[in-house]
Amino acid sequence: MSTLAITPSRVLRSEWHKLWTVRSTWITLALASALTIGIGLAIAATYESGGGDADVDTVLLVLLGMQFTSIIMGVLGILVTAGEHSTGMIRSSMTAVPRRLPVLWSKAAVLGAVTFTVVLATNFITFPLAQTLLSGTDQEASLGDPGIARALVGNAAGLALLGVMALALGALIRSVPGSIGAFIGGVLVLPEILSALPYDVIEDAVRYFPVGALDSLTHAHTPTDMASPGAALLALSLWAAGTLAAAGLLLRRRDV
Amino acid sequence: MTTAQGSSAQASSARGISAHGLTKRYGDKTVVSDLTFTVRPGTVTGFLGPNGAGKSTTMRMILGLDAPTRGHATVGDRAYAAHPAPLNEVGALLEARSIHPGRTAYHHLMALALTHGIPRSRVSHVLEVTGLAEVSRRRVKGFSLGMGQRLGIAAALLGDPDTVILDEPVNGLDPEGVLWIRNLLKSLAAEGRTVFVSSHLMSEMALTAEHLIIIGRGRLLADTTVDAFVRASGAGTVRVVTPEAGLLTELLAAPDVDVTSSAPGTLEVRGTDAEHIGRTAAAHGIPLFELTPQAASLEQAFMDLTRDSVEFAATTATTATTPAAHERTFMESA
Repeated sequence: MSTLAITPSRVLRSEWHKLWTVRSTWITLALASALTIGIGLAIAATYESGGGDADVDTVLLVLLGMQFTSIIMGVLGILVTAGEHSTGMIRSSMTAVPRRLPVLWSKAAVLGAVTFTVVLATNFITFPLAQTLLSGTDQEASLGDPGIARALVGNAAGLALLGVMALALGALIRSVPGSIGAFIGGVLVLPEILSALPYDVIEDAVRYFPVGALDSLTHAHTPTDMASPGAALLALSLWAAGTLAAAGLLLRRRDV
Repeated sequence: MTTAQGSSAQASSARGISAHGLTKRYGDKTVVSDLTFTVRPGTVTGFLGPNGAGKSTTMRMILGLDAPTRGHATVGDRAYAAHPAPLNEVGALLEARSIHPGRTAYHHLMALALTHGIPRSRVSHVLEVTGLAEVSRRRVKGFSLGMGQRLGIAAALLGDPDTVILDEPVNGLDPEGVLWIRNLLKSLAAEGRTVFVSSHLMSEMALTAEHLIIIGRGRLLADTTVDAFVRASGAGTVRVVTPEAGLLTELLAAPDVDVTSSAPGTLEVRGTDAEHIGRTAAAHGIPLFELTPQAASLEQAFMDLTRDSVEFAATTATTATTPAAHERTFMESA
């Protein structure tokens, strides 16, 4: 037992272990995948060329389930941090790793990697499946078409970053219901309300808000009134990093 | 009953726990006030105080979970968080429910073990030692309070630590569990480890601990040995009622036996036990009407001490900080 020591990779493995040894992880990830696939197929099956959705981007149309996935991934991120505070597990975690910050970074890395991988796999299942129903319509496309693969990957990256942001919110707010409220209200809904205000400045800014950026990333062909995919990815990364940095700062200072 | 090979318990040079002027304030409420004490290795040190005295807060400050407003604590030669393998230095049981209820006992311990590279075999070992092996694959949600305590103790032993800090470990345990804890603590101390245990029950500590640190309202009231406290409290005396009080007093006379009388026909005997008194009386045909070991007075002495501290704290707010008489009595200069 002489080589016992905390190392970053060991903390990472611990957080990986923690994530997969609670049921909520399996349930949320399965639910997110099932909803994305189910909604994608339902939309594809009922699609009619030239209908109201004709001007919707092909990838966005197929991945409309991400409205729910956003909430589910947010909840998963919140459970990873605020869940530990509400159960008291945080005291065990912070006693094991009293420098604290490695725990937060590891949680974010594990959650980000897992959600990215699961959403990516789901997207690459959903799109071809939905396309079998969309062949012959004006939304017919294949994975090799310009922008399609990029948007499928971009959507997965965007949702993973949104999850990390929710995880950081959970670490800041420490209450599961409070964090979910803040995430849905502040991150998902508030920008919609803001963009309804008649100010161009706000409309421009909202493009770079998390949901606006995710929206942009999910387009194979980015409309002109949205942030470019690169800018959107950068914006979402900064949102996630900023929230995580604030969480880290407070985690060092506050009592647990 | 030992918990590990114990090899690490002899390793580091500076050992034990030191608190230097630990103070914790929440707003204008002072929970812990200028606590200075040392907990030495090789003995069980009881940390006593009424509920709300600041015991848990003090323990959390030692572990770095709460930041002191002033002062600092060290475990071994440095602050807890500064150790490269903290779980190998200190094992802690804080509130029993510091556990995610949806995880199994095994996975809970495994998650903690992974942070330090503690092998799987050690996880199995502490599950065996704490009697949880059979339920280790069950989710903690369904655990009784006692099983939760055992899991907390398993986590505390996980890193084979030099120092063990346990906050109210007998809470929720059945009599068998209480006995198990007592023996565990004594065996850990016998292996040379530092054992620091909080309780609000003096009687429990008298059975387990050798040293006592007593606080009330966040202030240090006594830093003494159990023996000294027992002697000073009058506990350990035996009350004897007999018509032959004078004769029995003579018969019991010995260098370390002290007999006093508070009423005619009633003796308070210190320095020997009820068995010896009873046998002596029987051998000389002395009738005994009452032969009662005064165990309850230990708890009473503890309550008097802590109650006084509260009054003391309330009345000295405007006066100088003259130590109260009982503090001088119980404060040992060791």
